[in-house]
Amino acid sequence: MTGARIAALCADLHARFPGQEDAATGVALALIAREHAYLEGPPGCAKSALAHALAHASGARSACLAFHRDASAAELLGEVRLRRESRVRSERIAVELALGPSASAEVLLLDDLSRAPGEALGVLLRVLGERRLGERALPLETAIATAGPPDLESYADPLEPTQLDRFAIQVRMRGLVGARRFALARALLDREPGPDAPASLDTELRHELQRRAAALRLEPAARAALLRAVERLAAASGSEPALLSDRAFARAAPAVMRAHALLRGAERVTPEDVRALRFMLARRMPEALEPDIGAILEEAILADAPSDSSTPGARPAAADRTGAAPGPSGGAPSAALPVESLEARATSLASVEPVAGARGGDDSASVDPLLRALAGRLERGAVERGEDAGGSPRSLRRMRRLDEILDADPVDALLLVEGRQPGGARVFRRERRNAGGALAVLRDVSASMEGRLARWSGQVVAGLVRVGARRRMRLGYIEFNHEAERFASGGAFFHRRYRRVLSLAQRRRAEGRTNYEAPLRAALGELRASSGRERHIVLLSDGVPVLGDPAVRSERALARRLRVKVHTVFLGSGECPAVLDEISRETDGLRFEARPGPGGRLTLRERR
Amino acid sequence: MKHGLVRLRELLDRHVVGHDDAKQALLLALVCREHVYLEGPPGSAKTRMAEIAARGASLGFFFYQMHRDTRLAELVGDIVLERRPLADAEGERIHQAIEPGGILTADICVLDDISRAPGEALNVLLRVLNERKFGERPIPLLCAIATSNPLRDEYYNEPLDPANLDRFALQLRVSGLIQTGDRAQARELVDRFADGSVLEQPEPEAVLSRAELDTAYAALARIDVPSAEKDRLIEFLRRLVVDYDCNETNSLLTDRSFLVKAVKLLRGRALLAGRARVERGDLAVLSQMTTFRVPEEVQAKVPELIGEITA
Repeated sequence: MTGARIAALCADLHARFPGQEDAATGVALALIAREHAYLEGPPGCAKSALAHALAHASGARSACLAFHRDASAAELLGEVRLRRESRVRSERIAVELALGPSASAEVLLLDDLSRAPGEALGVLLRVLGERRLGERALPLETAIATAGPPDLESYADPLEPTQLDRFAIQVRMRGLVGARRFALARALLDREPGPDAPASLDTELRHELQRRAAALRLEPAARAALLRAVERLAAASGSEPALLSDRAFARAAPAVMRAHALLRGAERVTPEDVRALRFMLARRMPEALEPDIGAILEEAILADAPSDSSTPGARPAAADRTGAAPGPSGGAPSAALPVESLEARATSLASVEPVAGARGGDDSASVDPLLRALAGRLERGAVERGEDAGGSPRSLRRMRRLDEILDADPVDALLLVEGRQPGGARVFRRERRNAGGALAVLRDVSASMEGRLARWSGQVVAGLVRVGARRRMRLGYIEFNHEAERFASGGAFFHRRYRRVLSLAQRRRAEGRTNYEAPLRAALGELRASSGRERHIVLLSDGVPVLGDPAVRSERALARRLRVKVHTVFLGSGECPAVLDEISRETDGLRFEARPGPGGRLTLRERR
Repeated sequence: MKHGLVRLRELLDRHVVGHDDAKQALLLALVCREHVYLEGPPGSAKTRMAEIAARGASLGFFFYQMHRDTRLAELVGDIVLERRPLADAEGERIHQAIEPGGILTADICVLDDISRAPGEALNVLLRVLNERKFGERPIPLLCAIATSNPLRDEYYNEPLDPANLDRFALQLRVSGLIQTGDRAQARELVDRFADGSVLEQPEPEAVLSRAELDTAYAALARIDVPSAEKDRLIEFLRRLVVDYDCNETNSLLTDRSFLVKAVKLLRGRALLAGRARVERGDLAVLSQMTTFRVPEEVQAKVPELIGEITA
């Protein structure tokens, strides 16, 4: 009976969100398993709508937290108030936290999770994980977070996968138009928005479902299949970083598999419930492997490994029958997991450099050394933090103007208001990393830049865009052969429309002859008109200039005068023209060269 | 009801020369309750049009000049400290409260120079605009009009991030009549100022009421969208994605905007034209949605593409 209700809820979500079946099933699993869910996708693909629909259909008490840059943990959980109490001979002022609706929510929606500053998020995620706030147990069953893709132009730092590990369910969503699912998109147009259906569950039914799921027997064969799946996932990710933590796969995965079994109306958890792992992997596995995950899981389900199935013997099975409560007693044979390999992989992704060339094809070299060196060079000018009204609050300083009272320490503000602190209150200092600067990328597109040279130079450009975007630099892009073509955006040569340059980087054209003078003159002309200390040019070329001034004397002089650093990258098998070295040396830029090595691979090294 | 809308259009024509597209978009935004993003140089009548539309429709109007230090607190009214006596002891409890104002009480608001505000701060503002809720409290806002100067000097300006940009269903590039070289209209503008028929500070009469706009909004759902027009909308999107290589990296063709809001705007166009069903000509509105959502070179071809699809 209750099983039929949750199946109906799931079917209803599928019907209302065509094309988003995975996400809908994922949140339903999270609800049954009492786990948290994370939905990632581009703007406007129904992430929040789906989360709201689940909260409504589940009949749970729900609350929605909208995350933003200044979000603090206290604000997310309630409201900070001052309590001023008169004592006989003194007065006592205390700060108290009045818990808001989120503290009593059973289903909690976390909208735009990635916009919150790391420090607030850390506290909140711990609260979510423990479902406790201080001494108080929260009634929270499941939290559903939504976030945009880790994107170039959004202002948030991407969340680390380690932070996301608290979310057992992780599903990546795509828009129907973006995913080219036009038939579904057409069907969506015929749908008129109707009123919300009445909630199909209530608290009692939900708890009943959660208890029943937790009590389902996890067959030894299913445990073996889970282990095989985790091993295969680890092997498939190869050198790419994956986050297969014990927390996720020893504790949460069994719960999710039980929910999966309940959802399909099964009496026991069998190997086929390993399919539920699909809903856990969005940020745990490299995105490029996503299409293969179904096949990997199916192999793990089918593979008949008798040695595996005999290992978890009667003991865990017995423990499972008694310890039926949801939570850490999930009964998974964690001792049998390949712990070392899991821990080794659980390192933060942030410390692992992306392997840019790894899936670009056989002949693409990694552009990382260049990007790392260049990033280091750009970093030099940006290490010190500057005070900025758009930054996040960190430390305190004395108030300068009355309107800063909004940023004042609450107690100080009170004292000021009462005239007991005429010097002004202390206010939070807002800072952010000094961003900015300008980067002009000059890409040689002369006739010799074809095939893998063109592909490779496109990769370098894309990498440079990412380096620049991370520092919020303004970018300018020039393609040159015998003449220089400037690509402006919105009338400006330097701009922050990073996507535009990325899409240009994908283009392949190779025609004409090489001229260094024209692009350098164009870029320096633009830089002359721009302000800021950090100004860089990266010149990518494969040949000797045959047109214009081959020694680009006046441009070199101008670059020196403007203190523009010109970094040069020579591509190809020929002799690197001396002029490239001279330009870089004179302007304190970096020098790189990339040559095809044995096996047709390009290898990159810094010229010194 | 449509009469009031026609009169509002006449009022706009009386006070502002040219800018046919922008006027149309403004009316559409009011009827459909969508937000508009106008990018254009200073002095191209962006704010003036918004203000006249607001006054003409007797709506609460809120204007805010965005700046680098803009915080949400400045836009929602006054932040006050409230002191209440303690129930259980001698003393008081002090907490922060908001006296609603600004975007919380306005029907139509103009956010001038939106790209000057720190991008991170805009996120909250735009969420309020979109959900038309502040906390749990609904707000009466019909439409927000954001303006921005072309990003020539990007030292202070940052383009809106994609999630924020997508909140503005209608997006237009406007330019001054003199810059576009439309001599006839520029001449008319000069004449109107010269003979005093244009006032610096117009006090337009109200020609439309909020109630009429509410009725119009309710009527939208009853406007028929023929299957053929829905097919054309999908064909338009398919062509952009398949033939023009618009993808998630270079474009912002979101389901929310193009599968939900686009249909509403098509209905709005029909309603403004006094029809009970959408016609293929209404698809022209799509080019006011793609303005900053597809690469510039694709946008240049969008009118042609719409022409092909509706031929």
